[in-house]
Amino acid sequence: MRPNPILATLLALCIPLAGCQRHVDEKSVRAFVDKADDAARKRFAPEICELRGKNFKLHLVFQGHEHRIGPTEVEMDRALFCKQAGTFSRLRQYKLERKFIDVDVAPDRKTARVSTNYVETLPYYEPDMMPATPDDFDKFQIVDTHDESVVGIEGGDIVFLSTESTSSQELISKNSIKLPYD
Amino acid sequence: MRILAGPAMLLVIVGGFLSIRYMTKDDGPPRKFTDLEFADSCYSLSTVLVANRLFSNASRTWTSPRDDAWTLKLDDVVQGNGGPVRVFQEFTFEKYDDQVRLVAMDTSKGLEIDITHNIDALLEIPNERHSTPVDRCLQPGAKGYHFVPKR
Repeated sequence: MRPNPILATLLALCIPLAGCQRHVDEKSVRAFVDKADDAARKRFAPEICELRGKNFKLHLVFQGHEHRIGPTEVEMDRALFCKQAGTFSRLRQYKLERKFIDVDVAPDRKTARVSTNYVETLPYYEPDMMPATPDDFDKFQIVDTHDESVVGIEGGDIVFLSTESTSSQELISKNSIKLPYD
Repeated sequence: MRILAGPAMLLVIVGGFLSIRYMTKDDGPPRKFTDLEFADSCYSLSTVLVANRLFSNASRTWTSPRDDAWTLKLDDVVQGNGGPVRVFQEFTFEKYDDQVRLVAMDTSKGLEIDITHNIDALLEIPNERHSTPVDRCLQPGAKGYHFVPKR
């Protein structure tokens, strides 16, 4: 029997739509955050970036290791965030551990609020120094971050719509821990 | 039917090419704007921007506040002593006859906002490197603001 070409075309057009999401639930949001964490561990900017909505905003309050200097505040839109994600790929040693996650789905199931706590370990390059190689550092920084994010559906996929981050940084000697190269 | 296959394929290729071109179009000023001479300097605006590597590192956005004027915003996050700090510079260029001038500046705190200072700073590298001047300055004895002809 010869397949009906119109029916086949309609079926082909519907297949991608079947993968689209209309609502969020706790399970899909947790899976999405796992995916986002994996993208961050790979430090692959395109993947990190595609998980952010087109109007994504990050508000970061960062307390550096010198506690006598107050925290800095940075607001980034998606374009600037993605540029920053690009510089992430230069790191050769990086560890991301998620310590906590809580998901609160909105009653209309269109968005969810995600609270997470992360500890990142990565090289610390002095602000005024231009590292000659990725190994040109003598301290690791340990950054403890609490994120409050809103996730929602955009183009059929879950994305981060906004993130409020509060981070604090501590420095430790390069020789005090072993962080594998990857 | 077979006779239509070739033109149909051509139509698909041309359509695909045009849609990709349309979708990836940079929202920057047209070439006829960036090819204009910048501030009587003997260098086109595009030469000045490329020489200063204003198209790298920072996130850049072009907007047009009015006809014949374009604003370039460079946005970046740098590592300060206390943590990450956002820095930005906004250059507004406007066309005057066959020239383009820097008419307004906006910057984050701590960066120089004076227009003359920024024009001088923008011209430093093209002059040092003897970048390619605009046609009028290829003639012997041509003069331009801060322009030092190549010997």
